[in-house]
Amino acid sequence: MGSTTPQQHERRAFLQRLSALSLLGPAAPWALQLSAMSEAAAATATDYKALVCVFLYGGNDHANTIVPFDTASYGALQQIRPNLILSRDALLPSQLAPATALPGQRAYALAPGLEPLVPLFQAKEMSVVLNIGTLIEPTTKAQYQAKSVRLPPKLFSHNDQQAFWQTSATEGSPSGWGGRMGELFLNAQSNANLTAISVSGQAAFLSGRTMRAYQIAASGPTAITGVGSPVFGSAQGSALLKSVLTQNQSHALMQEWVTTGQRSLDLNDRLSSALAGVNLTTPFPIASNISDQLKMVARLIAARDALGLKRQVFFVSIGGFDTHDSQATTHPALIAQVGYSLAAFHQAMKDLGVSQQVTTFTASDFGRTLASNNDGSDHGWGSTHLVLGGAVRGGEYIGTPPTIAVNGPDDVGSGRFIPTLSVDQLAASLGQWFGLSTSEQQVLLPNLANFSQRTLPLFR
Amino acid sequence: MTKTQAHTADPNAPLESTQASLLAGTALALAGCGGGESSPSVSGPISTGPTSPTTPSVPAPPPPPDISDTARFLSQATLGFTRAEFDEVQSSGPSAWLERQFAAPLGTSHYDWLVSKGYSAATNTNSTAGIDNSLWNRLITARDALRVRVALALSETLVVGVQGLTGQWRQFSAANYMDILERNAFGNFRTLLTEVTLSPAMGSYLTYRGNTKANPRTGSVPDENYAREVMQLFTIGLVTLEPTGLPRLVGGQPQETYTLDDVTGLARVFTGYDLDTTGYSAPFPPDVVRRPMAQVASRYETGEKRFLGTVIPANTPAPEALQSALNTLFLHPNTPPFISRQLIQRMVTSNPSPAYVQRVAAQFENNGAGVRGDLKAVVRAILLDPEARDPALAASSTFGKVREPMVRFLSWARAFSASSASGNFAIGDLSDPATRLGQSPLRSPSVFNFFRPGFTSVSLADRGLVAPELQITSETSTAGYLNYMQRAINGQGVGDLVADYSSLLPLAKTPKALVDELALLFTANSLSASTRSELASAVEAMPQTTDAQLKSRVLAALFITLASPEFIVQR
Repeated sequence: MGSTTPQQHERRAFLQRLSALSLLGPAAPWALQLSAMSEAAAATATDYKALVCVFLYGGNDHANTIVPFDTASYGALQQIRPNLILSRDALLPSQLAPATALPGQRAYALAPGLEPLVPLFQAKEMSVVLNIGTLIEPTTKAQYQAKSVRLPPKLFSHNDQQAFWQTSATEGSPSGWGGRMGELFLNAQSNANLTAISVSGQAAFLSGRTMRAYQIAASGPTAITGVGSPVFGSAQGSALLKSVLTQNQSHALMQEWVTTGQRSLDLNDRLSSALAGVNLTTPFPIASNISDQLKMVARLIAARDALGLKRQVFFVSIGGFDTHDSQATTHPALIAQVGYSLAAFHQAMKDLGVSQQVTTFTASDFGRTLASNNDGSDHGWGSTHLVLGGAVRGGEYIGTPPTIAVNGPDDVGSGRFIPTLSVDQLAASLGQWFGLSTSEQQVLLPNLANFSQRTLPLFR
Repeated sequence: MTKTQAHTADPNAPLESTQASLLAGTALALAGCGGGESSPSVSGPISTGPTSPTTPSVPAPPPPPDISDTARFLSQATLGFTRAEFDEVQSSGPSAWLERQFAAPLGTSHYDWLVSKGYSAATNTNSTAGIDNSLWNRLITARDALRVRVALALSETLVVGVQGLTGQWRQFSAANYMDILERNAFGNFRTLLTEVTLSPAMGSYLTYRGNTKANPRTGSVPDENYAREVMQLFTIGLVTLEPTGLPRLVGGQPQETYTLDDVTGLARVFTGYDLDTTGYSAPFPPDVVRRPMAQVASRYETGEKRFLGTVIPANTPAPEALQSALNTLFLHPNTPPFISRQLIQRMVTSNPSPAYVQRVAAQFENNGAGVRGDLKAVVRAILLDPEARDPALAASSTFGKVREPMVRFLSWARAFSASSASGNFAIGDLSDPATRLGQSPLRSPSVFNFFRPGFTSVSLADRGLVAPELQITSETSTAGYLNYMQRAINGQGVGDLVADYSSLLPLAKTPKALVDELALLFTANSLSASTRSELASAVEAMPQTTDAQLKSRVLAALFITLASPEFIVQR
């Protein structure tokens, strides 16, 4: 073989990595397409950027999170859910004053637990995305009722809507849009296997088409004791342990075990040494699991240069949002954990000098019904979410406020809103900021082309 | 089944008709043997009427099974087995062992165990104290090994998670739930469904305990939680299925089994239920979370209920409405393949062939005596199916399943008859992936179980394979499992649990024999020749003078076996 340019060499190395990761042998056509895209995307990645997905598992009750606050909407909500609605007095301190007012005097207030985020909104570092959810194509109530448009399969089902949110495909789809975006930058990374990191277990959001996400505990990496020291006194046993954990296998499932073993040994070591040099001083004042997870993300971001990373996608989560029951007692506490930990995380990004380079957004299975089931609410569809970071065009409402009414123009039953913005539009906007070209966005988000407005005005 | 029946290694290939009919004949012939199983059913099993009988054939007595096949069978049919249990099955064969297990008496109930250990003291009213102890006690020591194996599989299909329970006596509520699963593991799915639905545990977990009819004044409507999940997860699933468990496609598209209207319609059935406190006054004893939930008439929705084509007329009494609703789900054609496939996945293989699912589902539909939902017939069909028993299939590169972390732990504990001197089994909740197993019985984080039946990885997806257990297999949980097991087998981090290594210690001075024994018990003899030889050599290099040194030899060999891919993947 003759001499190759660095680019050709890189390209070949990338294809080799793809096939090694996927055991595909020769690269499949999509891998070639992805590879070509990767060359372009990676070339632009000279700086550092990270996306952080904060997933509220269970389906967040949006109407008690970002609460309709103008007199008419609040009054309508009070009629619909008198035994669930947050009191107006409690909401007064967290009214939002947007840079651009909504039509018809529509207004919102954050739940009391999100009060720490009010200053971010006012400082134009956070925006609110209204009535967003899973869609395949724009959908009106008439189209929904006439079944004349394609709908995300299995609406209102937890796992399926989590999957659709995270992957833009049905449950069982191995790749998520976060992972697919991160995968474009593998060439720019010294530790490509740390491109996507979950601090919250398995998340389809972070898997690429061939790239696996790394899963770390909120407490940090975990070393395998028996590999680092003799096993019951046997050094030979320790070496054999490493061998059985890493030696490639012909059986498909056994190979999965050793792939995980190889990654565990390799990545835990690398991360331990990189994190050893991190000194994060920002306080995370309210202890909670989500706070610990975000703190770990902050520490990983602080270690970005030590690890040679230019692009990263993170996933953290908090469960318990399936508030069919006892919502009045459980939901405010959960929301407060989100509010305090997000505010602390944003401050940590400022302290690290990377707040312009890190964008954080909330996501959830679905919204919930406006109607109450007496002491809780049921599975809905469209929801309200937050996007924050120094690069965000903050202090704004993005999208259209839905009409607060049961059997109203946006409702398919009991106050389940048909989304007016699709997750794909949010994903494309985040992707554009991350450095993806228009065509890359469209390849990674196949339903995006169905929406005339490809991206949302989320960034400065 | 023996190696002589080996056929193609392609899991999708149809079975040769002679094998299929032989098996059907065997199952039919055995169907009457384990009779007498009676459970306190709220509604009896539903007869599907007479069916055309399969031509009975009387097979010749099989030769003694291969030792690898016996170990494979036991790894599928139990949560771990001793050398003595192995010898028993090797001697009698799988079928006879199954029938003995079906007839084995139910062990002490979790509820009674908690009472006997003093957990009903008032101080435990608002806690879950004791539930992990009780679960570990049964899962490790139960001699009705098949029953606890099936019950654990059921607990991962009709899921209740301890941490999602509310109210008082949560440990007793969860204990009673596991008792329901154990009591019905060889009973009828229809009875199981009634008992699960009326259990305070499920009522609390899926929030329909206290569920109230619609209130036009406040605009409140019935809680839809259970109505949705009992369809999606416990009976019919989301899409219309072929008898093979594959989606039935119309115009290339799967067909959803129910709509939002079906959910809201069915939700009206699950109103009015609450704890039965009859005869008690506060503070209530644990018994109130054992009794089936009772009706509170003022909260019951008396109006008409429509779902899945069923119409329950207005003013139908609540018990009748419930039975009508559960019958609709039980008799739905999806239920047999939907439940059968998941039980196959828990016990035998992640990627069963459509034909395997269909054969098991056929037993669910009709056990040969006209009874639908006979779980004994289903379990028998799963474990004796040619696809489960065929050693040639087991040697393919895709057959089998990743052993769940809690089953890996139990495989060790049961193999060496681990015991707790105090009897308290203070092993605790092993859910932390970084420091323990990343999984613990009855501690699924949601009703969607620890993992989904369709979970796949980036590599497996390309091959059309799923591997549910990989959803909880990560860089961190792998390290957590290994570190935890290294300590556990040496009696650390497991309370006072102690394994009895008396069957292995005599082999400590003969490393090859030691390794072969471990390979048989934990890998059904599939540990590779190179690993065996390296492991024997590593053990050989260890000192062997003192008892402690001999024990270290056993522990080192055991630990590396428990880390090997041949153990992790049950084939």
